[in-house]
Amino acid sequence: MEASITLKKVGKLVGDKTILASLTFGVERGSLVAIIGDNEAGKSMLLKVISGIEYQEFGHVFINGLDSQKRRLEVLSSIGFVPHEIDLDPWLTLEENIRFMGMMYGIDIEMLNTRMIQLARDLHIIPYLKSMVQDISPGIVKKGMILRALIHDPDILIMDEPTAFMDAESYRHTWDLLLRLRGEKTILYVSQSLKEVEEAHDRILVLEDGRIALDGSLDKLLGSTFEFHQFQIEFEELSDDLFKQLSKLPKVKNPSRIGHSIHFYGRERNVFFEVLNAATAAIMKDVSVKKLGLQDLMDAKFAKDGIH
Amino acid sequence: MTTVSFMVMLPLLLHIGITMVMKNIVVQSIDQVPYDVWVFPGIILLIASVSTFSLIYRDLFDLRIHKKSFIPITLAPYGKTHLVIGFLVTSIIESLVYVIVAMGVLTVLLPEPLNWSAYFIVPLFTLLYTFLLGNLIITFSVLTDRISTYLSITISMFLFILFATGVLVEFDFYPKTIGTLLSYFPLSMILSDLRGILFFNRVEWGPIMIPVATALGWTWLNGYMLKRKLKQ
Repeated sequence: MEASITLKKVGKLVGDKTILASLTFGVERGSLVAIIGDNEAGKSMLLKVISGIEYQEFGHVFINGLDSQKRRLEVLSSIGFVPHEIDLDPWLTLEENIRFMGMMYGIDIEMLNTRMIQLARDLHIIPYLKSMVQDISPGIVKKGMILRALIHDPDILIMDEPTAFMDAESYRHTWDLLLRLRGEKTILYVSQSLKEVEEAHDRILVLEDGRIALDGSLDKLLGSTFEFHQFQIEFEELSDDLFKQLSKLPKVKNPSRIGHSIHFYGRERNVFFEVLNAATAAIMKDVSVKKLGLQDLMDAKFAKDGIH
Repeated sequence: MTTVSFMVMLPLLLHIGITMVMKNIVVQSIDQVPYDVWVFPGIILLIASVSTFSLIYRDLFDLRIHKKSFIPITLAPYGKTHLVIGFLVTSIIESLVYVIVAMGVLTVLLPEPLNWSAYFIVPLFTLLYTFLLGNLIITFSVLTDRISTYLSITISMFLFILFATGVLVEFDFYPKTIGTLLSYFPLSMILSDLRGILFFNRVEWGPIMIPVATALGWTWLNGYMLKRKLKQ
């Protein structure tokens, strides 16, 4: 497939600190890409560099094949950007904010009205269009910001925490729209909500210290670990000897204890029964088993060391 | 207070606070023009200054500092100089509205009517004046990041305009060297030339072309500074 966004050895410094370190990757046209990572991993800066808010010190960003610095004005029309923080003018109505940006992109008034009403209907914010931004709740304003970013019909939509401040209903309306746009537009977003990322992605980039630590679909990322299950058994009393005994079982991986609970990973569910057999003398209070997910992947132990 | 009432109140306040007081001290200019007529162009340009300060604060500094729509504006497909021209044009248009209202108000208070041509010439010079002053305020708006610094600079600048560009009294009243130096300040040149045209039908192209050239170069420079500041 054709690349919509291509980064070649992109580096970004802020002062002496490296925020992005020689990033090279491409994003396919029409795909939905989620970026996750710890705080200060460089996620927001990556979005800023791709969208043209800040230039990179090193390397090149290509948008639809055009160098984003050399062909800046052509590239900007292809991008819609939604920042994390609310940045609409509070002294204007939601409609005025959107209309202003539409006019900045030179959109015909009739087209602007049609598009605004259609998107506002999709996002369920028609009743708020005439309200002053300062009088609207942040979740609705955030939907207005998504509408503003889409008003010039960009090929690429870049969003920093697109559903921040939203309630469950707004979240659903927003993703209904965004998932409908998938395929037609390239969507790149950052989120701290791993549940959101698990639900909505074609590809996930895990950023760590300005580098891509992991890259792929959820299944691919969990490829090395998805056979593992996470087990937790709470005993009435977990002695040191019992913990050592259970930890030495060959199929028990990465055992740890919290109070009277043992926490470990195992490739197959029958590991659980082996542990239960080994601990028949002890009184158990609670047991739990769960399949690994993105949250576990983000756990530093997995991201950095994997399961041993 | 609505904008319209402010537009009417401002020239009234300046007339009461400046013209009515100063005309008892300086009865007429050195060239025998009655003080309240002589000071009229200065008051008008002072009103243009007040509006330009507040309009560029609203359209540029406030949006930039408080992160209100400014980044999306910079992401629209325009060069930075183009954006600076946009800020200038909006401030010029709105300042002209302020000035036209002020001229209407002050005309009623003048002891003798101005020539009808003044009502075309004064807005034209206001345009030039705002073009130049707007660039100066845009430079402050781009370079300063703190509201306190911005206010200190703009208030100081306003006081300088009030007392050192020939708004209140002629440069002949200043110490000779200082008066000469201040008369070469581009904003002073515009006011001085405006008075020359209004009261003596004397047009000097130098004091017009120098501010025009300065403002054009400054617009480009502001575009460059905005680009550097935004790291775009």
